[in-house]
Amino acid sequence: MARLDDIPEPTRTAVRDLPCPTPATSPFVAGPALTQRKIAMVSSAALIHRGDTPFPVGSGEVRAVPGSWDNGDILMSHVSINFDRAGFQRDINVVYPINRLREMAADGAIGGVVDTHYTVMGSTDPAAMADAADSIAAALHAEGCTGVLLLPV
Amino acid sequence: MLEARGLPTVVIALVLPQVEKSRPPRALMVPFMLGRPLGEPNDAPFQRRVLTQALGLLERTDGKVILEDFPDDNPSWVDRPDWVPSVALIAPGSGPPWRSAFAAELARVLPVWDRFKSRFGHTTVGLAGLAPTQWPGFVEEFIEDGLPTLPLHHTPALALRFLVDDIKALYGEAVQADGDTPSARQIDGWFWRQTVAGQMLIALRAIALASPNSALKTVGGRFFVPTPYLPT
Repeated sequence: MARLDDIPEPTRTAVRDLPCPTPATSPFVAGPALTQRKIAMVSSAALIHRGDTPFPVGSGEVRAVPGSWDNGDILMSHVSINFDRAGFQRDINVVYPINRLREMAADGAIGGVVDTHYTVMGSTDPAAMADAADSIAAALHAEGCTGVLLLPV
Repeated sequence: MLEARGLPTVVIALVLPQVEKSRPPRALMVPFMLGRPLGEPNDAPFQRRVLTQALGLLERTDGKVILEDFPDDNPSWVDRPDWVPSVALIAPGSGPPWRSAFAAELARVLPVWDRFKSRFGHTTVGLAGLAPTQWPGFVEEFIEDGLPTLPLHHTPALALRFLVDDIKALYGEAVQADGDTPSARQIDGWFWRQTVAGQMLIALRAIALASPNSALKTVGGRFFVPTPYLPT
């Protein structure tokens, strides 16, 4: 059973005590039924295309992950060495479930999938990501996105 | 942050204390290991269950903070007691000269890695941008106090850091090439305790920590060897 107590120290203490800003407000945006929603993913895995420069440590940047990328060309450049990579090595969907979302769209379980997803470096201080959030939000609104799946690793 | 910008969001969360502090509008708490938000690799029905429950939270209107638990562990969390690594290795305890020992072991691992690529149709090796056959020579340059770099990377420290990631990925893939897959713990234990490459990276960490190059010192100390496998 994978619970906090199963994470080896000192990673357990680090993830437990990681400063996480509590937002001053609690925004809550409603939307249509799931069958009508166009879904996007934002992954914290610092995904890159094979041949691209990996994310720098502490980077607050956002990068696009076009749906046209072949799964086999997507690499993970997250800085941490204290989480599992074996699952991602076998199946990218365990981190970035692009195939599952497409199947759900084909089945009619969701309305659709955006053309471009986004990725950031998860270990970065959220305060450094305000510009990235602006950028992602503008692009997703332009795509008609009505639901965002956030995928920390 | 995106909800405040007008987009409905749901997070698949792996660490409960972080969710309790950041209070996202909708979160599905999953009992999976760090690095696997969808839980089980190559198990589409299991992943679909996770996604269905997570995305279903988007339809809830009883916020402002909704937290649900996913009820099941992923099946491959547990160790496989009958697992035997399919990669034949040189005797553990092999030491320097690392170039020859690593090259000899790598020559045995590469054909098995090819089987992984055939079986799964891809590889996650490639961050460094250097062919595996060139790895032993590149590592040796660092051991001999050189500071080589690679076109993809801005500094020698970053080049080595991502080469270390590639070494771990190639071995991790190779050992999953055949048969039933071991647990993540078994893969890590095999790499760090039974391979020349693992022992070499532990030695390389010590070399980096002693380097006058501050970037190499930082990278080596933090990003080569996971804490549970550091020498005591």
